[in-house]
Amino acid sequence: MVRNPASALRKYLLGGRIGNSGCLFDRSKDVISHHRIHHGARTLQTDADHAQPDTAIPFRKQLKEEARKRKAELKESAKTKNRSLEQWELTVGIEIHAQLNTARKLFSSASSTFDAAPNTQVAYFDLALPGSQPIFQKETLIPALRAAIALNCRIQKTSKFDRKHYFHWDQPAGYQITQYYEPFAKDGHISLYPHDGIAKEDGDEVRIGIKQVQMEQDTAKTTTTLGDVHLLDFNRAGLPLIEIITQPQIHHPQTAAALVRKIQILLNSVDACVLGMQSGGLRADVNVSVRKRDDVGKGFEYGDVQGLGKRTEIKNLSSFKAVEDAIIAERDRQIALIEGGGFVEGETRGWNIGNPGTVRLRGKEGEVDYRYMPDPDIAPIVISDDLLDHVQNTLGVLPEEEIRLLVADYGVTTKDAMSLVSLDNGYRVEYFRNVVDHLVALTSRDVSAGSSKPQNASDEAVSQTLKLGRLANNWVLHELGGLISSEEHNKLDFTPEGLCQQISHEELATLIHYIETKRVTGRAAKRILVDLFANATEGTKVSLDELINSHGLWFTPLASEEYAAIAMRVFDEKVAQEILDGKEGKINYLVGNMIRLAEDGKVDPVEATQAMRKAIETFKASRG
Amino acid sequence: MRVPTKRQAAHRGAYQILAYTCKRQARYYSSVPNVVFEGPSPEKHEPLNDYSGPENGDTLNAYISAGKEELYPIHRTYYAVKNNIIFKIDPTTCGSAILQDYMSPFYATIATRFGRIYGLPLRTTNMDEFGMGSHSTNSHFGAVQNVPPYEKYSAGGSSGGSAVAVAAGPFKMALGTDTGGSVRLPAAYTGIVGFKPSYGFVSRFGVIPYANSLDTVGVLARTVAGVAESRLFHGYDAKDPTHATVEARTRMNANLANSDVCPLDIHDLGGRQHLKIGIPLEYNIAEMDSVVRQAWQETLEKLQSEGHTIVPVSLPNTKHALSAYYILAAAEAASNLSKYDGVRYGNRSSASDGAGDVLYSKTRGELFGEETKRRILLGSYTLSSSAIDNYFIKAQKIRRLVQRDFDRVFILNNPLRPSDEQFDLTDMDENVEMADKLGPSRVDFIICPTAPTLSPKLEEVVSQSPVESYMNDVFTVPASLAGLPAISVPFRLSSEDHETGAPPYVGIQVIGQYSDDWRVLAAGRVIEKLLGCTKHSQALRCCNANSQAPFYVTGPSSHHDYPPTEDFAIPVQKVQCDFDAKMRT
Repeated sequence: MVRNPASALRKYLLGGRIGNSGCLFDRSKDVISHHRIHHGARTLQTDADHAQPDTAIPFRKQLKEEARKRKAELKESAKTKNRSLEQWELTVGIEIHAQLNTARKLFSSASSTFDAAPNTQVAYFDLALPGSQPIFQKETLIPALRAAIALNCRIQKTSKFDRKHYFHWDQPAGYQITQYYEPFAKDGHISLYPHDGIAKEDGDEVRIGIKQVQMEQDTAKTTTTLGDVHLLDFNRAGLPLIEIITQPQIHHPQTAAALVRKIQILLNSVDACVLGMQSGGLRADVNVSVRKRDDVGKGFEYGDVQGLGKRTEIKNLSSFKAVEDAIIAERDRQIALIEGGGFVEGETRGWNIGNPGTVRLRGKEGEVDYRYMPDPDIAPIVISDDLLDHVQNTLGVLPEEEIRLLVADYGVTTKDAMSLVSLDNGYRVEYFRNVVDHLVALTSRDVSAGSSKPQNASDEAVSQTLKLGRLANNWVLHELGGLISSEEHNKLDFTPEGLCQQISHEELATLIHYIETKRVTGRAAKRILVDLFANATEGTKVSLDELINSHGLWFTPLASEEYAAIAMRVFDEKVAQEILDGKEGKINYLVGNMIRLAEDGKVDPVEATQAMRKAIETFKASRG
Repeated sequence: MRVPTKRQAAHRGAYQILAYTCKRQARYYSSVPNVVFEGPSPEKHEPLNDYSGPENGDTLNAYISAGKEELYPIHRTYYAVKNNIIFKIDPTTCGSAILQDYMSPFYATIATRFGRIYGLPLRTTNMDEFGMGSHSTNSHFGAVQNVPPYEKYSAGGSSGGSAVAVAAGPFKMALGTDTGGSVRLPAAYTGIVGFKPSYGFVSRFGVIPYANSLDTVGVLARTVAGVAESRLFHGYDAKDPTHATVEARTRMNANLANSDVCPLDIHDLGGRQHLKIGIPLEYNIAEMDSVVRQAWQETLEKLQSEGHTIVPVSLPNTKHALSAYYILAAAEAASNLSKYDGVRYGNRSSASDGAGDVLYSKTRGELFGEETKRRILLGSYTLSSSAIDNYFIKAQKIRRLVQRDFDRVFILNNPLRPSDEQFDLTDMDENVEMADKLGPSRVDFIICPTAPTLSPKLEEVVSQSPVESYMNDVFTVPASLAGLPAISVPFRLSSEDHETGAPPYVGIQVIGQYSDDWRVLAAGRVIEKLLGCTKHSQALRCCNANSQAPFYVTGPSSHHDYPPTEDFAIPVQKVQCDFDAKMRT
């Protein structure tokens, strides 16, 4: 993952309006000069700024104004942009690199552990020592096959490895071993739906072709650069990657980001890859071209698509947002260039957070001829049908199906199901299932203890799972999510089996069960959850029941007289009159006041509403 | 109800199946040993630690001393090794300035094997830089000279240093590498025996590659028996992905046992085996010296008089083999040599890595020799996107045709290919007689000269154009392209045949089918016996060869344990006696 210098981030966040001094309110000289330079092109609008640079405009107010101004500008430019976008069609193809989830490197038995001390996980071959030879680690095939099958690819019976030559200090052999001539998987596709976050224009479904999936080696990592000296860590050199190359069939930046996100979810769900995109395990290159919509039948051919405009490639994008923003920036650049009478050159460009546009890295003349050569030391890889069958049969449920099941059987909304599936490498959804399982068990135990003859048991179980699932989702997704802050130590650790270190699924299920059975109120439960989490992060383990005991948060139902008393205390004649006049919703305001007035979580909203209604009735009667 | 569990426990089963299918597939791909499930299992692996961490500058040295295996030689024997096989007694220089001080952290597989049997070698020997040359003149450490009194003549290359080490007397044998004739040619020029095994029969792990798909480790000795007893062949080495697996060898042996070839045992040549010997008509080229042709003729006549059958055969693609070889070898060399940038090991230019137009151009420009640079450029060109179709791909096709040429003349089927392959007869030389309507008669071996000329003068070599010097390899390259075993046996010229002053040897080459190594050695012995004259009689010629011997690699020699000097004065005569005794048993 690219680390952005603070200065770049600053520029990106507030259009460069934060000074270097660090204090927001210190409008010292260099801030002003900065300001002036920034607005040089728009003197007319910023005359006021110049007139009174020293009178302190409240910073917040200034920000608001700036934001408003920017929004207006954006709207204006969006209008013109939309006009030109109607004439232009954008075409995008993506190459995604993902690190395979394996114990060893692709051609050596060195461990693929990351976070190890630099240069400790290195075999002779990883350093390209003379006389060392590549030994293909067959185990790397399995996650690669899982990925390719999940992407609906045709698996090639025989595939081969080739050398791609170029000099770079992170490439010890002077070539990268990859699959250029005969990749192991070809001709796949992936379907995207509105819930994946595709652009509106793409309708209900868009299908993107996968040209090929190939296995290849990762490079060494340049850890530090001290002037002219680069320090290299070869732990990463030789790690197995897959590169997924899509057909140029994407026409909207938003869809491109959705595709990358979906591929990441897919790779996680079939256990093919190690890390998510945000942590550097996934990197994307995009190629972008534009053409006039009426210009069909001319132009270039890329992949299986003909008649495209000249394309440029943007390398090394490491977040979904970067994919989307870079494509937008490059599209606009190309359209402006052609409309201005120029033409697009086939070149490689870069994009960084904070830059308004893409930057030229090297042109066609700077392109390397990779001199692809079959590696004479590595035999063809032959994949048999029984291996393929086995991988296919043990692949499990793909996210698309899993989302469908979550919606149908657990009553979760599609949006929440998406989040569940994509969070924590897919471990969160396992946790969720564990919570629901436990919750169902607790509930049915109560039920069987209460009534002896369950009627139509299976129907009941289904509807119960639906109800409990919906409830549990709220807690697993939103309440747990609320606990985590961006700080390092504030995190929840989930295991692939869906266990959580900080808050076990039994605890959460029991807590939800207490709410269901009115032993604690929802409000109290939230507080308990926060305490539970705080205890866990500090390492002091207090059981759930003890915790509730110690805070005295058990819900003891108030007597109806008590409710009446509370209702009287918050009673407001004016509001009561409004309610009587038909503004029924206003009652919630009063009930809310009741809840707030009482001790933590003692007031049950339903009871409180009843008490309030009674009070209003009495009020009505007294007036009537 | 619950969604079926994913990603749990599924893996183990998959790995088992993987192992199983890979094993099954190995049957069809003998040259594909790495799909057989062997090698370290995840649990056993010990990570290779602390190799090049900046704060651990000394660990490489610690590694070397720790990694030095205890070697208990079974038969202490004096032998030399070409300096591209990692033995760790000297820097493994490959005759290059870029590796002048390079001490590898590991031994070659063949080094460990030879070390256990014979002890460490006494010398590493000079060679053409990375094996690129035919006269051992392209070395950073100076040109190798032939054995006195022929110092002005070429010793052949690229294993010239190894050949001289044996021919001059002090060493019983030497290891060399043969990519396109690098063992056979020096053997021919120095009058000794040089053997190149089938590709993939000797592990290349720790042998610094020139062209991986052609490189083999070979042996030079004074007699065929010396080669045969060198114990060159060894068990399967999982560290070399191109090493023939146990399964593959079993299949090859079965193929040999089931064939119609006449059994030939190097230890028992008493019986009257009648071999069928092929003479490739395409090898009778105009550039061949008349003395060489005469020696070839004489050898054949002697064989015929012994009752062996001589038949003409056709290898129609021979004429393209040389060009194909120089395209493929250069392409692989250019690729292999990309790793020498001076960053992780090897010498480095004093200029910055980024100086010049391209990264590392100073280091590589300053430290590679002229011939090496020429071949890197050649290889880079033939692999470039605009040229690959016309050069590299075509050369690969020719290589396959050359292999097919051999397959259809040998009685023994090639165990790497289906046996029922049909051959087209239309492109065959019209002088070839048909044995029946299926084609010409098939043969046990092909016999031809090793080189078209006698050893040239070194000064002529210098004035030769690169292409002229490439011509030397015309008879050795086809066997390399096809991966076949071949041996060069010396034919000593009588003084009336020979007036030029050049070393009076012609190499007679025996080429056999893939995997037929032992019979090739036996056939070499048959010829050796027929020709009568071997180095036995001349071995004493220059006992004192270790004084100013030009074949040694110059370089630091203080840090390793050579045996004391008195030990080094080898009683050559005694060695000879041992030999004869062994031959009788």
